[in-house]
Amino acid sequence: MATSSNAPSAPAGGTADYAPPKKIGSLVIIVVALLLVTNVVTALSVYYLTPSAPAPTVQPLRVIGPWASDEKAKFIPVLDAFKNKTGISYEYITTRQEDLQSLLPNWFAAKRAPADLIFMPSSFIKTYGIQGNAVDLNGTVSGSSYAPGALDPLKDGTKIYGGAYTGKVKPGFWYRQSFFTAHNYNVPTTWTQFTALLAKIESDRSVTNTPILSGDGVGWPLSDVVEHFLATYGGPSMNQAIMAKTLPWTSTSVHDVFANYLVPTLTRGAVCANGCWSAPRQWDTGVAEWWRGDYALYFMGSWITGMVTPSSDIRVFALPGGVTPSGVVFAADYFFVPTYASRVADAKQLAKFLGSAEAQQKQVSVGGHIATVLGVPLSAYPSVDASIAQNLTGKVILSDLDDTIGGTFQTTFWSQLQALWANPGNLNAILANIQAAMPT
Amino acid sequence: MSPLRGGGRRSLAFSYRPYLRVLFFVPATVLLVFLVLYPALQTLLLSFYTPSGQFAGLNNYGSVLGNRETIDTSDWQMPYGTLINNCLWIAIHLPLTLFTGLYLALTLQKVRGASIIKSMIFLGRVTPMIVGGIILTFLFDEKSGIVPRLFGLLGINSLAIQWTQYPETLLFGLIFGSVWLWVGFSLIAYSAGLTTIPRDYFEAAQMDGASPWQTFRRITWPLLRQTTLTVVTMTILWELKIFDIIFAATNPNGGVGGAADVLALQMFRYAFRAGNYNAAAVVATLLTGLTLLVSAWMFRRIIIGPQRKGRRVRKLVLQFWTRVWTRIKPHRTVPQA
Repeated sequence: MATSSNAPSAPAGGTADYAPPKKIGSLVIIVVALLLVTNVVTALSVYYLTPSAPAPTVQPLRVIGPWASDEKAKFIPVLDAFKNKTGISYEYITTRQEDLQSLLPNWFAAKRAPADLIFMPSSFIKTYGIQGNAVDLNGTVSGSSYAPGALDPLKDGTKIYGGAYTGKVKPGFWYRQSFFTAHNYNVPTTWTQFTALLAKIESDRSVTNTPILSGDGVGWPLSDVVEHFLATYGGPSMNQAIMAKTLPWTSTSVHDVFANYLVPTLTRGAVCANGCWSAPRQWDTGVAEWWRGDYALYFMGSWITGMVTPSSDIRVFALPGGVTPSGVVFAADYFFVPTYASRVADAKQLAKFLGSAEAQQKQVSVGGHIATVLGVPLSAYPSVDASIAQNLTGKVILSDLDDTIGGTFQTTFWSQLQALWANPGNLNAILANIQAAMPT
Repeated sequence: MSPLRGGGRRSLAFSYRPYLRVLFFVPATVLLVFLVLYPALQTLLLSFYTPSGQFAGLNNYGSVLGNRETIDTSDWQMPYGTLINNCLWIAIHLPLTLFTGLYLALTLQKVRGASIIKSMIFLGRVTPMIVGGIILTFLFDEKSGIVPRLFGLLGINSLAIQWTQYPETLLFGLIFGSVWLWVGFSLIAYSAGLTTIPRDYFEAAQMDGASPWQTFRRITWPLLRQTTLTVVTMTILWELKIFDIIFAATNPNGGVGGAADVLALQMFRYAFRAGNYNAAAVVATLLTGLTLLVSAWMFRRIIIGPQRKGRRVRKLVLQFWTRVWTRIKPHRTVPQA
C-alpha cells in the first residue's frame, strides 16, 4: 500500500488521477499534540521560572481637563500642591470637552469612567448626574465657601453633582493701549462712538485687516460675542430668560438686538465698508495676529491676559450704551467625580481641594483666571486680572448661555452663528434655526 | 491498484473532509454573526422603536427624512441637507477622481520614473483622513492657504476668502480638496488595469491606422471595465460614509450653518450628542441600504456579468409581480357584499 512518503508525484499528463495524501488525520493529530505540549511546557515554565509576580502598582488619580500647553502648565502647579498636601499622585490628561461629550455617555453606559475627576460644562454634569453617573458632592464642596450662586447650575434639590473651579469672564473687546495711543483712539462710551471708532479704524487703515477679529474653534467664540450683545442691549434678564426658555430667539426683543446692533457691524457697507468683523479664525492663533496689529479689537475671555506679552499693555472695554445694570458672562470651569471612578474617596479629596481658596489662589496668581470661592484676596491676582475681578462688582453675573443650555443646541447654535457671520442678511432664518434647536 | 487512487481504508480526516471544510468556516462565521450580523439587525430593530421602547413603525424614518437636516430644498440655498450633500459628493467627487486617476495612469504609462510620481500621488491615499481634513483647512485659510491666495493673484477676490467660513464655498472646497486624497487609489487601480491589456491589441490598432482616441475608446476603456467598476464602487462607498474629513475640517454640525453636513456626521450627532440612538439607527440603516445597493450593483456587474443582467432582472421582476398578482387577485374578485 502506498503511503504519502513514497507516493510518486502526479503524472505529467494531468491531475485527473491525483488523490491527496491520506495521512492528513495523523498530521492534524501531530500538530494538535505539538501545540498542546508546547503550551503546557510554556505554562509550566512561566509558573515555575518567573520570579514572583510584581506587586500591583497603585494607579495615580486620573484627572481629565481641557487645558493644554500654556494653560496646562499653569494648572499643573495646583495639582502638585494637592499631591504635596495629600501624598496622592495624579495623572493629568488633556481632552477637549466637545470630544468628551461624545465619549462619556458610552463610558457611563458601560458603568465605567475614563478618569476619577473630570472637567465638563455644568449642563452635562447635571444631566448625567441626575441619571446617576456623578457622585453627590454635597458635604465635600460647600456652597457657603463659594460666591453666591456659583454651584447653582450643578444642583438638583439637595444634591450637588460637582464643584466649581476658577472661572473666566467675557468682559468685552480687548485692545492694546499702545495701539490706541499711537492712533489717538479713545474708548467709546456710546454705541455711536463705538461704530464711529470701527469706521475710523477701517478708514485709517491702521490695521491690515478688519477692525475686529472673530475667533473660532468649533464655533464657541462667536457665541460669547452674541451673549455679550444680548446682555448689554437686551439686559441681563434677556440672557436669563433665554436660558430659562421663556423668551424665544425669534421674539421681537431678541431679534432687535441682533438687527440693530450686531448685524450692522457684520454687514458690508453698513458701519464698515468691508464689514467690521473678520471671517472667524482659529481663536488661539488669532491672539498673535491681533497682538501684532493685524486687527484692532478682539472679543475673548479673560484667559487671554495670560497669553500676551507684555500683559501690562492689554486693556478691555465692554460694549457701550447698554441697559443698566449691565451683565457680564462668567464661565466657571466645573468638575465632577464619576460614580464609576476607581478612586472616589481620593477624587473627593481633590474636589474639596479645588474648591478651596488655597488652590484657587494658586491658580489665579498665574493670570487668566478668576476665583469662584470666597477668600481669595485681590492682591493674589496679576494687576490686569485684579481690575477685571474688581469690575465685576455692581454687574449681574450671568452663566454661559450655551454651556447652560447644553446638548445639541450648543453645536447648532455655534454653526448657525458662523452662518450669520457669513450671511448677516439671513438673520430671520438663522434665529428660527437656533430656536428650533432649543431643547423642549 | 493505482497508488494515486488510494484504495483500501481511508484515513478519518480524509473521510470527513467535507465536514472539515465546514469546520474551517465556523470561526469566521461566528465572528461575523456576533460582530456584524447581530449588531446590524439590532440597529435595524432599534430604528423602528422610540427611545422609550415603543414600536414606532416608520415614524422614525418619517421624522428623520422629513427633517431639514436631511433634506432641505426649501429655498435651494446652502445647506441642502445631509442626503443631498452626500449625493453632491458622489456627483462631483466621483467623476473627478475617476477621470483624474485614469488620465494620470495613461499619462504616466510610459514615463521614466513614473513609480516615484505614483508613490507621491498615492501619499494622499495613505494619509489619515482626519489629517487630510486639517490640511484642507490650511489649504483654504484666507491668510496662509494656497487656494485663496491663488484666486487673489488671479484677481478673483470673491474666492480669495476663508473658504471654510462661507456656506457657498465650504462644501465644494472640501469636495475639490479631497480629490488628491483619493485620486491615488484610482491611479493605482487603473495603472494595474492597464498592465493586463495585451500589447498586441494596441499594435494591431496602430497597424490598422487607429487614432489614439479610437484606440482608447475601442480598446483601453472597454478592457478597463472591471477596474472602472471597482473604482466607482469603492469611491461611492467612501463618499457615502465620509465623516472624518468633514469632522476635522469643520465641527460636529458640518461647519457654517451645517453646509457640509453629511449622513455619517448626522448619525454621529444623533447618537453621541443627542443620545437619540433610534434616530441614529435610522440614519445608519439608510446608509447601510445605500451602501448595499451600490455593492449589489457592483457584484451583479462584475460577477454575473452584463449579458445576463437584463434577463435575470426581467425574470426576477416577473416572478415578483406574479407572486404579488396571485396574492391580490382573489381579494379583487371577492364580491364586496
